[in-house]
Amino acid sequence: MSTSPLVVENLSFKYRTRPELAIEDISFELKQGELLLIAGSSGCGKTTLARCINGLIPRSYRGARKGRVLLNGREVADLKIAEMAQEVGTLLQDPERQIVASNVFNEIAFGPENLGLPREEIVARVERAMRRLNIEYLRERETFNLSGGEKQKAALAGVLTMNPSILLLDEPLASLDPASAHEALAVFRSLADEGKTIILVEHRVEDALAAKPDRLLYMEDGRIQYLGPIRDLPPEIDYTQVKLPAQWVVKRVRAEKKPAEPPTSPKVKKERGEPLVVFEDVDFRYGDEYPLILQNVNLTIYRGDLIAVLGPNGAGKSTLVKHAIGLLKPTRGRVLVGGQDTRKMSVAQIARSLGYVFQSPTHMLYASTVQEELEFGPRNLGFKADDIAASVKESIATVNLKGFEEYPPLGLSFGQQKRTTIAAVLAMRSKILVMDEPTAGQDFANYTRFMEALCKSSNGSQSILSANFESTVFITHDLDLAVTYANRVLLFGDKHIVAEGKPEDVLKDIDVLLKYRVRPTSLLHLNLELLPQTGGFLPAESLAGFAL
Amino acid sequence: MLVTWKYRPRNTFIQRLDPRTRLIFLFSVIFALTIPEIWDFRIILPLFAVSLTLYLMARIEWKDVRRAWLFIIVFVVFIVGINGVLSGRGGPSSVTNIESPILFYVPLLRELGWKVPITVSKVWFALNQIVRMLTMAILAIPIPYTMDPNIYGTAFKRMGASDNFSFTMDLAFRFLPTFARDFTITVDAQRARGYEMEALKGGLAERIRRLAPLIIPVVMQSTVTGEEVIDAMDLRAFGTNKRTWIKQLHYAPRDYFILGLGAAIFIACCVLKWGFGIGGFFVPDFFTNWLVG
Repeated sequence: MSTSPLVVENLSFKYRTRPELAIEDISFELKQGELLLIAGSSGCGKTTLARCINGLIPRSYRGARKGRVLLNGREVADLKIAEMAQEVGTLLQDPERQIVASNVFNEIAFGPENLGLPREEIVARVERAMRRLNIEYLRERETFNLSGGEKQKAALAGVLTMNPSILLLDEPLASLDPASAHEALAVFRSLADEGKTIILVEHRVEDALAAKPDRLLYMEDGRIQYLGPIRDLPPEIDYTQVKLPAQWVVKRVRAEKKPAEPPTSPKVKKERGEPLVVFEDVDFRYGDEYPLILQNVNLTIYRGDLIAVLGPNGAGKSTLVKHAIGLLKPTRGRVLVGGQDTRKMSVAQIARSLGYVFQSPTHMLYASTVQEELEFGPRNLGFKADDIAASVKESIATVNLKGFEEYPPLGLSFGQQKRTTIAAVLAMRSKILVMDEPTAGQDFANYTRFMEALCKSSNGSQSILSANFESTVFITHDLDLAVTYANRVLLFGDKHIVAEGKPEDVLKDIDVLLKYRVRPTSLLHLNLELLPQTGGFLPAESLAGFAL
Repeated sequence: MLVTWKYRPRNTFIQRLDPRTRLIFLFSVIFALTIPEIWDFRIILPLFAVSLTLYLMARIEWKDVRRAWLFIIVFVVFIVGINGVLSGRGGPSSVTNIESPILFYVPLLRELGWKVPITVSKVWFALNQIVRMLTMAILAIPIPYTMDPNIYGTAFKRMGASDNFSFTMDLAFRFLPTFARDFTITVDAQRARGYEMEALKGGLAERIRRLAPLIIPVVMQSTVTGEEVIDAMDLRAFGTNKRTWIKQLHYAPRDYFILGLGAAIFIACCVLKWGFGIGGFFVPDFFTNWLVG
């Protein structure tokens, strides 16, 4: 009798530190070679379920577990760590967290070395894994110098060398650019075709569909809402919680006979305001002996602009925006902020007119309360006490953090931390807001809420962005953010601006997008199709009102 | 994830040496100077010449080590040199005890009328101490730039350390540059919020308080990185079996030569000091004559 690689029976778990069940009564079984997609928003229990499968529960996380998890017929709790690691290979969300060795070969060999296998056996396994993922050329590379996609392949190869029968992939697309994500999904599919059982945890269902999952398990509030094949959109799935193909959302909105969402306030202003930031023939390199990172960049940011900066990893997007705040000064050419050359201004002076939100909140949050955190910027800029108090109060209300004033910022959820960082910049009353990957590390439901809170105007009132900032620039990998929220798109690649203009103009050239590793999404395709009717890009819900 | 130092493969004698050889030689020199307490410039100077030769043989580009040198020089000259001149501590007691011509006084805490006499002996001691420290430092400086980060752990393992200790050393070596990277990002993030390091004012406590925006995020980040590394290692069965270290190391004749040299230096220093009483601190006459005429 053949046993299933994975059987989960009536599984419930409650963390010791929390009163409620994290998952409740979960049962399912996987066949060999099956690819299961687990989806749901944060807090739905998918991470807890993953920890029960890879043995971190009950080993590293304490609490009350009921039910059974059987790996090839053996209870997880009874397996030793070494046995466990050979049954389930876990690929963590961020490959950076997984990589422990300093070069690729050592990284891939790390697991088998720990098992104490003979040297020849280790070398054979490493070679096989590298060949399987076509990364032999990375063999001697330093791990920290790899691109996001390469890091993930190295991490995956390291997992494969343990010969696990099950691969648990925990949001493996989160830190990849769209083109690398697509390549990774193709690899996952082929591994399933070769007989590996794969569990893919991902909230971006639209993207994950490229791996052709056999079944979908959708969770909400710790319970399974749907488990079955993916044909169309099963009605149990809430389209606001996970990212679905635009056509599915349109169909659902129509079926529910909801009034189609009215388009958000006109995104494109008719005429341009005055220039706020100007790049003139900017070149940049870190030193004479280093290659150019920016080459002949010319760009003007006007009042009223809401710019999305797209482009592949390592193209120089962050370098570009760091010039605007004066953290970097051009090697050639000049950057003007408010008409003044950044070379003649300190970063603190520029910060009065331009606020920069870094990608990771943990790199900047330090204070013991949110209130104190927000006072930091205005105080540095020499605001008067009354102004500081007023400014902080206003920015807390703006990002919806009222009641959290006395909380430690580092104890907040990731989304709240992100909002704190925006509020910190708001409190400085900068005119221009620059955000590096504002949605990174947040799931679909959370980042949609976050972006809507920033960009959406309600009942005739202005959005947070347009009420508080004269212009906003954000770097993103998420094409749909550019489609939905931006009024100007900047495609950056090969050290300079490749294309620039209204989203409708820049994003219609699919070949150029693909060349710079930006993958068109279903929302973009649908918008392009309906453009003659809509006259501008809209979110999926708003498209429901137009004839397909 | 941890980043690595600016290591780059170079075809040099130094980089062809086994990493164990280099670590053992470094410790031979450190122990040769410290265990028998060598303060005699006639021994320190030749050792300095050996260290300097090995340093130059590593052929590291100046731009790579500029910062490291700046740090070492500030540290050695200011901390060690000034400390030596002002107090004479850190060396043999003879430095402060012996009768030595006083060159001048440094007024410290003028209100209390406390003046520190600077003697010929203290100046000579400070010079010796600087050269002695540099002799050890210039052997250590090239290591991060010229030793393959992949073999840190293996080197310790093959010197007889446990799996845990060896891998800890491997991670520790790479922790410093990671810390430096996080620190740079945090400095940038806080500068963008109008924070200016140059504007640190007030007393010591106030200054430290003003550094919190830089220190706290970096410490938090380091803690998180540490926890991530532990989870990643657990998931791949670290510490469950006796480990196979895939990289192998072999001594070559050149390694035996350098190891022999290290052993000879250590033994010679011990024999000179304990057997013949040579190597203690003394101020040579030429120096006294030169300073006081």
